Amino acid sequence: MQLNRRTFLRGTGVAMALPLFDALAPRRLRGAADVPIPRRMVCINTPLGLHPANFFPATAGREYELSKYLEVVGEYRDQFTVISGLSHPDVGPSHDSNQSFLTAAPHPERRAGFRNSISVDQYAAEFLYGQTRFATLPLSCEGAGLSWTKSGAPVPTESWASSVFAKLFMEGRPDEIAAQARKLADGQSVLDAVREQAKKLGQVLGAGDREKLEEYFTSVRELEQRLAQAEAWSKKPKPQVTAKQPQDPRSGADLIGKTRVWFDLIHLALQTDSSRLITLQLLGTSSVPPIPGVSQGHHDLSHHGKDPAKIAQLTALEIAKMQTLRDFLAQLRTTREGEGTLLDRTTIFFSSNLADASKHSVKNMPVLLAGGNFKHGQHLAFDENENPPLANLFVSMLQSLGLPAEKFASSTGTLTGLELAS
Amino acid sequence: MNGRGVISVVLLLGCARFAFAAPVDDDARYFGDQIRTFLAKHCSECHSGEKPKGNLRLDNLTANFADAATRAHWAEAIARLKTGEMPPEDKPRPAAAEMAAVIDWLSPRVAAAEAAARAAQGRVVLRRLNRLEYENTIRDLFGIQVNLREQLPADGSADGFDNAGAAHHTSSFLMEKYLEAADAALTAAIANRPQPPPLFSKRISVKDGHPIRTTTEDVYRFLPDGEVVCFCSSEWHNVSVSSFYPQEAGQYRFRISASAVQSGGQPVTFRCTATGTRLSGTSGLISYFDAPPDQPKVFEFVRHMEPRTTIAVLPYGLAGANTVKQVGGEKWDQPGLAIQWVEVEGPLHPEWPPRSHQRLFGDLPRKNFPVYNFRERVEVVSENPLADAERILTAFTRRAFRRPVTAADVAPFVEIVRTKLAGEYTFEQAMRAALKGVLISPDFLFLRENPGPLDDHALACRLAYFLWSTMPDDALFALAEQGKLRQPAVLRGEVEGLLADPKGRAFTENFTGQWLGLREIDFTEPSHILYPEFDHLLKVSMIRETELFFNEVLKNDLPLTNFVSSDFTLLNGRLAKHYGIPGPTGWEFERVPLPPGSHRGGVLTMASVLKVTANGTTTSPVLRGAWVLDRILGTPAPPPPDDVPVLDPDIRGATTFREQLAKHRSLESCGSCHRQIDPPGFALESFDCIGGWREWYRVTGNGGTVMVDGRRMAYHQGKPVDPSDEMPDGAKFRNVDEFKLLLLRDKDQLARALGKKLLTYATGAAPTATDREEVEQVVAKVRGRSYGLRSLVHEVVQSPLFLNK
Repeated sequence: MQLNRRTFLRGTGVAMALPLFDALAPRRLRGAADVPIPRRMVCINTPLGLHPANFFPATAGREYELSKYLEVVGEYRDQFTVISGLSHPDVGPSHDSNQSFLTAAPHPERRAGFRNSISVDQYAAEFLYGQTRFATLPLSCEGAGLSWTKSGAPVPTESWASSVFAKLFMEGRPDEIAAQARKLADGQSVLDAVREQAKKLGQVLGAGDREKLEEYFTSVRELEQRLAQAEAWSKKPKPQVTAKQPQDPRSGADLIGKTRVWFDLIHLALQTDSSRLITLQLLGTSSVPPIPGVSQGHHDLSHHGKDPAKIAQLTALEIAKMQTLRDFLAQLRTTREGEGTLLDRTTIFFSSNLADASKHSVKNMPVLLAGGNFKHGQHLAFDENENPPLANLFVSMLQSLGLPAEKFASSTGTLTGLELAS
Repeated sequence: MNGRGVISVVLLLGCARFAFAAPVDDDARYFGDQIRTFLAKHCSECHSGEKPKGNLRLDNLTANFADAATRAHWAEAIARLKTGEMPPEDKPRPAAAEMAAVIDWLSPRVAAAEAAARAAQGRVVLRRLNRLEYENTIRDLFGIQVNLREQLPADGSADGFDNAGAAHHTSSFLMEKYLEAADAALTAAIANRPQPPPLFSKRISVKDGHPIRTTTEDVYRFLPDGEVVCFCSSEWHNVSVSSFYPQEAGQYRFRISASAVQSGGQPVTFRCTATGTRLSGTSGLISYFDAPPDQPKVFEFVRHMEPRTTIAVLPYGLAGANTVKQVGGEKWDQPGLAIQWVEVEGPLHPEWPPRSHQRLFGDLPRKNFPVYNFRERVEVVSENPLADAERILTAFTRRAFRRPVTAADVAPFVEIVRTKLAGEYTFEQAMRAALKGVLISPDFLFLRENPGPLDDHALACRLAYFLWSTMPDDALFALAEQGKLRQPAVLRGEVEGLLADPKGRAFTENFTGQWLGLREIDFTEPSHILYPEFDHLLKVSMIRETELFFNEVLKNDLPLTNFVSSDFTLLNGRLAKHYGIPGPTGWEFERVPLPPGSHRGGVLTMASVLKVTANGTTTSPVLRGAWVLDRILGTPAPPPPDDVPVLDPDIRGATTFREQLAKHRSLESCGSCHRQIDPPGFALESFDCIGGWREWYRVTGNGGTVMVDGRRMAYHQGKPVDPSDEMPDGAKFRNVDEFKLLLLRDKDQLARALGKKLLTYATGAAPTATDREEVEQVVAKVRGRSYGLRSLVHEVVQSPLFLNK
């Protein structure tokens, strides 16, 4: 294909039907015989639980009956698996369980002495590094995200869809590009200079301090590599898309609007193969979201204390949220890539760090696993008191990405009953 | 550490090689025979297996004293044996000689291993600046105001504070953010304009502001000369000073002329906020002010403004727009806020190039270096670039590293300049690269302390980061330079000096913000059905009360027992109404003696603490109780076992938490902890989610109708509150007032608890069982000073735990 993509897209001047994009996509993405099919993963946390009575189906197995919430995504029944009874062992009931959501690190709720470990997306990134412009995209509607490094440090998140869009798809002015190049070069030489200080410092310190400094110098080395990658990518043109730069919802309370903007952006990022590993922390706001029938804040409603009026509002809110997920699945399903659809090649892990937010419980987390290389269409039910660790599902997810993972954090194997499609 | 302690450590260190190294086999044998047997006989019944009592497992504890965790466990065990706390009263007591033998054998070994570890690496681990300290340090290093903390990821916490080295991890992502933050700092510090940005200076009428100009609601009255009277407090009538919308970030001076009208001689309180930031807690809030009746008063403040933001004004507590518009602004006869004018002047630049620029580059000339959309742009130039670079970088590095520097320290940065100049960078570009190098070097980002006694510079840093959350100033540096800082009297003087400085606010904010959890004030938004009276003014007033109270106790060296029980507090009108205490009006706070029966006094019964220990809907005696044990009593409860079911709150009103908990408490396995945890929580049940006094629960289900000010509330009257319980030792209390008195029985423990919190915050690591003696020294000294809080801060600073790494 010799077509100059950018000129072509400008020439049409109108939003194109998506399949055209496929024709333009790089050869390797079309799954030609000689290149492996690209596998992707999106992990989403909705931080205030999903009302268990509305989420979990009453029956298990392949013939299960859709629950109130699953009705919303019912048309994709064969593209997802709903799982009940899972939890992270040694993670106590608290909002702090957020920090262990993708890491399975024990006892975030104790705060003192808690040390986080690598999250499943960053773990996968170690294998997929360099294949895409961004190895991972940690996103958050607000505040801290879900991704953590090997040393247990948080990976900074992007909170504005508009600026992520700019990073992914917009080329700067020539002077901005020059300034950016200088920044990268500066960064590299600056890191070079501090790296030299390593040997000098190491000698005078005790073991604990040395460990801290080693972490620092490892970070310096890793950043040097990343800057070199960034420099290489900066010389390649960014993919062009017909979508406009999104507007960030003006209201901080607009959790549905924010979620939709992110889902649209994730769709674009996957479609253009800008990143294959994405994490998204949804909003759990105290403010009142603009949803018909909802007059109280999400956090407040989640502490419903069994009040039927509150549960009714919570249900309205969570159904609106499930609808955003449905539309996201639809986008991925209708985007073809090579022999399949984006949904076939993207594992979506949609869950919450809280099981029942009204009591902050963390057992029996709501899990919906969609897309990717799995045999879907069932309700996998585990006993919430004698369940396999949630990390077993992570191992299954890693394997579905084609990675040679045997163990992740608290895992004891892959998730029983969940099979790969190929 | 007292004299005996010093001698014994020295002796132990001295004899360690020949006394303990040789008879290792003897030691192993003694441990195996005597110690193990003792433990098996007297301890293992409770302290063994997967779930040992008190989380202290002794049956598999080895004699490897070199291991820090093992050592801490032994120290804990020794301490409990020494005080006679263990074995517990209801178990058979070991013979005194038997016990003494065990203590005498273990103590010196643990102490020697501890001393060796401390000599090798100190008590605390290397600390990195947290993001707040980073922003403050950049502020003082350059003399600029940039919001950098938002650019950096949140820091982890350990032992309750986010300045603990153990909780700080570095990643390549963080390093990248540091590079960006350094860029932002240098952009703010270095002036590329030949002249200061044009001065905006104008008297503005709010009649042109949003939403006054566009609203169709008739809720304002327009007077001559642009004066406007605002009659409603509805959020959507938050009036922006829209004619001021700066393109330049910088310091701006604002003067607002306002008065209250038709207010029956009472002031009208109003809020002033910065637009562009979400108003949450105090972020985005400039201040509340009280406009006096009829006579206009000018309110003046200087504030750093970001580009394309402005300020907005909203009166507090007036009618809603929907009510006012029925009558119209002309005829409305209820209170209003008249705003005569707003004056704005800025960005304020007393000199150009600004101080930050001069401080870096001195009087180096600047020359025109145009870029495509900025023709007038200038850059710093140099005739002798390398010599100038070395001079500038030496001076800068010295302040940035907060210690004397050698040529070798500066060389790598000069080298950057050399390479960059060779690579066709301009002098300023090369200097920026080098300065960036200094700002991401470990000597800047970490607080370097060498094992043993801190040198004067490290001590100056520890002191400044403790009381200011930032780097030392020139005066403190000078004292360090002269080597005088370690003199107790000098140190005492510096503590006084630092606390008296405006930067001392950081201590109150950051310490109470974490010790008392005030930073979590926005974590939950109270249900507006259950708590319709909750508003922003109440929320910020809560925080302010606690900070002002802490300041008052600190300033006057009042007994720290005031935190538990006090006969005064500081209130403004909103909080006084909330507490039902007559006196104050408006926004301003005043010291108020508490009338009998107020049930207030001390932090436990402050609305701030009561709010952060509740969620927006329910209170949990368990969570509040655990909070009191940890923060106030210094005896944190062990974490709950993993397999306990979580109680399911029910606000419909059929059952109370106490009833649900009763079952749980009756189980022996749960009761042993809950007898400790629950009493403080039950005492505080008399206070609702927002710290209001209650005698019954507000519920949404069935219950009695509730009327307030003639209006029917959306909630109902539920079951009565029962705040009575008994302490673990059997002492009974009927209510929170009696409970507080019981807490005051052990003042030493209150001092110990707060002293440990202060030591943790001051040094970046919590004292452990091995530091018991030093902690007790601090307690003993403040006991002699009537438990004064300021004395406690002094004793913390004079403690060997503070003076040594």
